[in-house]
Amino acid sequence: MTGRMVIHVGGAPAPFAGTALYLDGATAELRAISLQIDEEQRNLMIEGPGLSPTLWPLADIRTIPDQADRTRMVLAHTGDPVARMIVEDPETIRLLRARCPDLGKRPRPLGVGRLLIWAGAAVGSVALIVMVLVPLLANQLAERLPPEGEAALGDATLEQVRRALNQTGMNPLPICDAPEGIAALAAMTRRLSGAGDVAQPLKVSVLDHELVNAFALPGGRIVLFRGLIDAAQGPDEVAAVLAHEIGHVAARDPTRIALRSAGSIGVLGLLLGDFAGGAVVLFLTERLIQATYTQQAEAAADDYALTLMQQAEIAPGALARFFEHLQTLGDEPSAVMAHFMAHPALGDRIAKAAAATAPETPRPALDADAWRALQRICAPSDTP
Amino acid sequence: MIPGPDRAATEFVGRRAPVFAMALGLSILTVLTLGLYRFWMKSRLRRYYWSSIRPAGSPVEYVGEPLEKLLGFLIAVVIMAFYLGIVNLLLVFASFSLFQSNGVAYLLSFLGVIPLWFYASYRARRYVLSRTRWRGIRFGMEQGAAGYAWRAMGHWVVLILTLGLAWPRMTFWLEKYRTDRTTFGTVTLHQGGNVAMLYQAFVHLMFGVLFSAATVAIAVANENYRFLWLLVGFVPWALYGLVHYRVHGFRRLAAHKTAGSLGLIAQPRVGRVAWIWAFGGFMTLLGPVLVVGGVGAVLIGLMETGVVSSSKPLPEVLDDILPGWVIFAIGAALYFAVFITFGVMRHVFLTLPLWRHYSETLTLTGVGALASVAQRPRDPFHEAEGFAEALDVGAAI
Repeated sequence: MTGRMVIHVGGAPAPFAGTALYLDGATAELRAISLQIDEEQRNLMIEGPGLSPTLWPLADIRTIPDQADRTRMVLAHTGDPVARMIVEDPETIRLLRARCPDLGKRPRPLGVGRLLIWAGAAVGSVALIVMVLVPLLANQLAERLPPEGEAALGDATLEQVRRALNQTGMNPLPICDAPEGIAALAAMTRRLSGAGDVAQPLKVSVLDHELVNAFALPGGRIVLFRGLIDAAQGPDEVAAVLAHEIGHVAARDPTRIALRSAGSIGVLGLLLGDFAGGAVVLFLTERLIQATYTQQAEAAADDYALTLMQQAEIAPGALARFFEHLQTLGDEPSAVMAHFMAHPALGDRIAKAAAATAPETPRPALDADAWRALQRICAPSDTP
Repeated sequence: MIPGPDRAATEFVGRRAPVFAMALGLSILTVLTLGLYRFWMKSRLRRYYWSSIRPAGSPVEYVGEPLEKLLGFLIAVVIMAFYLGIVNLLLVFASFSLFQSNGVAYLLSFLGVIPLWFYASYRARRYVLSRTRWRGIRFGMEQGAAGYAWRAMGHWVVLILTLGLAWPRMTFWLEKYRTDRTTFGTVTLHQGGNVAMLYQAFVHLMFGVLFSAATVAIAVANENYRFLWLLVGFVPWALYGLVHYRVHGFRRLAAHKTAGSLGLIAQPRVGRVAWIWAFGGFMTLLGPVLVVGGVGAVLIGLMETGVVSSSKPLPEVLDDILPGWVIFAIGAALYFAVFITFGVMRHVFLTLPLWRHYSETLTLTGVGALASVAQRPRDPFHEAEGFAEALDVGAAI
C-alpha cells in the first residue's frame, strides 16, 4: 500500500495498522494504542495496555474542528461524548482520512426547539417593552416631568441632533444667528404663541442644514432647518409649520418620544451587541428628527395649528399650500419633512387645512422686510 | 520547563497567521449577520486557542457550542430587556426631574449593573470551565456567583477607601474564592499561600505610584514645577511596577495552586510581558489608524489629482460624485472596518503572544497522579454566558 514499514499487531498481515494516543474519558490517563480495521464490520479496533478492546465504527468517527496543531488530528466517536483519540503519526492520519467516510460531518444541533421558544420569548419581551411598556410609561412620565427637567432634556437632545447631522463629525451643526433674522423669528413666534395657551416658553431656532424639515424637542424647543425656510414661498407657510410644531409642544409629544428613546436605546444596544453601539444611538437620533408621531398626534397638531393661525389672524390655508408645494417638490422623500409627508392621510389633511375658516382680515405672518431678514438668518454676519 | 521527576512542560502551537485569518473572516461574518454570528465566532476561536495549549503534550479542548451561547443570550435578553428599558427610563426621568441632567441616571444605571457584572463574570467563568477538558477530563466550578458578587463589591469598597493599597488583598481573596471552587474531574483545586506574598510583588507599583503622586502633589502645593522632570523616572517605574505585579502575582498564585498532588510552576517574565503589551498595544491601535488613514489618503489623492473639485468641504464633494446610499454604505463599512481591524490586531499581537508566553513558561508537577484523576458529570448550565454576553463582561476572547 505504501513504502513505509508498519508494525502489524496480530498474526496475519493486516491491510491497515496504525498508532495513536487514547483518552477514555473516565480517567486522565493517556494510553498509547494500536489501531486496526475490521474490514467486514467496518470498525476501527482499538487495543492498548490496560484498555478493554474498543470498537469505533468508521462511519461514526469525527475530527474535532479548529485545532491549532495541524500536524496532529483529534478524533471523537459520535457514540461517546468524552473519549478522544490523538493521532500524531502522519501515516496513520493519512490512512484514517482515507478510510473514515464522515470525518468532517458535524452533529445535528440539539435543542433547536427550546432555542426557538426562547427566541420567541426574547422577541416578545423586547417588543412588549419597547412597543408597549416604554411608550406607556413615557406618556405618563412626560406629563410629570417638571419644566426645568424638560428643558434640560431638550438641550441634551438638541446637542445630540446637531452632532448627528454634521457630516464631518467635527463640530455640532451651527445655529443660525443673524440678529435681524432672529428678531423676525421671535416676532413670528410671539404672534403665534400669544394667540394660544402654550404653557412653556418657546425657544425657536434655525439650524444651518438644507433638509426641508422642522421638529419639536422637549422643553418648548422648536428647530427649523434652513432648507425649510428656503423652500417656503412666503412667511405664512413658515408660520404654518411653526404653528404645527407648537401644537406638538403643547401636547408634549417630543418629551414622550425623547423618554421613549431613552428606554429603547439600551434594549436595542443589548440585542445588537456592543459592536454596533454607536450605530444604535445614531439610528435613534435619526428617529427623533424624523419623529413619526401617531396619526392622532399629527391630526391634533394640525387642528391646534389651524386654530392658532386663525387666532393670530394668519390665513390658515398656508398649511395646505405648503403641503401641496412639498408634494410637487418631493422627488427625494427623505429630504422632505417625513413626519408631514409619511402619513397616508395627507390628502385629508390638505383638504381640512384648505377648508379651515379664514380670519376676517388676514395679515401676513411677517412684513416684507422681516421676511427677507428671516430668509437671511443663516447668512454670515456682516460685522467682522 | 524546570527539569525534574514527575514534571511536564507546556507547548503552545498557536500561530499568528491562522488566528488572523479566523478572526478576520469570523468578524466579517459577524457584521454581515448583524452580530448573530458572534456566538459561532467565540466558540471557534476558543477551540483554536484552547487546542493551542498542550500541557504535558496533550491539547486542552473547548467543547462549548454556539447554540447554547445563543440560548443563554436569549435568556439574558428576556430578563435584561426589562431592566434596560423600564429601569433606565425611570432613571432618566428621575435624573432630569431632580438634577436637570442625565449624568445621575447614567451613574445610577452603572452602579446598578455592577453587582450583576460580578455575578455574570463568575457565571461566565463557570460556563467556560464546564466546557473545558484536558486529557478527556472536564473542568468545572461550583455554584457561588452571588457570594462572589458581594465579596467582590466589598473588596472594591475597601480598595477605593485605601486608595488602591488593598489591591493585593483583593487579588488574593477573589482568586482563592474562584480557585477553591474549581474542579478538574474528581479533584478540587486549592489556592494556598497568603496575601503577604502578593504584597512583595506589589512593592514596585506602590512606590512608583506613590513617588509620582507625591511629585505632582508637592509641585502643585508649592506652585513650583521645577522638579516635575522626576516624573520621567517615576511614571515608567509605576508602569513597570504594574506589569511586575501582574506577572509576579501570577507566578506566586500559580506556585501555590494545587489539585491533589498536581501542582504548577509558572515563570512568565516581566520584560517579555511588558514588551508584548507595548508592541502589541501599539499594533492594535495602529491597525484602525491605518484603515482610516488609507481611506483619507485615497480621498485626498482624488482631490489632488483634480478628479474632483477641491474647493468645497469633503462631505459636499462626496455628495456631488456619489449617490447618498453609496456614501452611507462606505461610512458604515468604514465604521465596522475600524472595529474589525482593532479586534483582529488585538488577537494577533496581544492575545496570542500573551497566551503563548504564559503557556510556554508553565510547568506541571506531580503528573504521575493524573492516572488517578477520574471524570465528573456534565454541568448542563442552560444560561451559558448569556449575562456576561449581554453585559459585555470582558473575557479575552
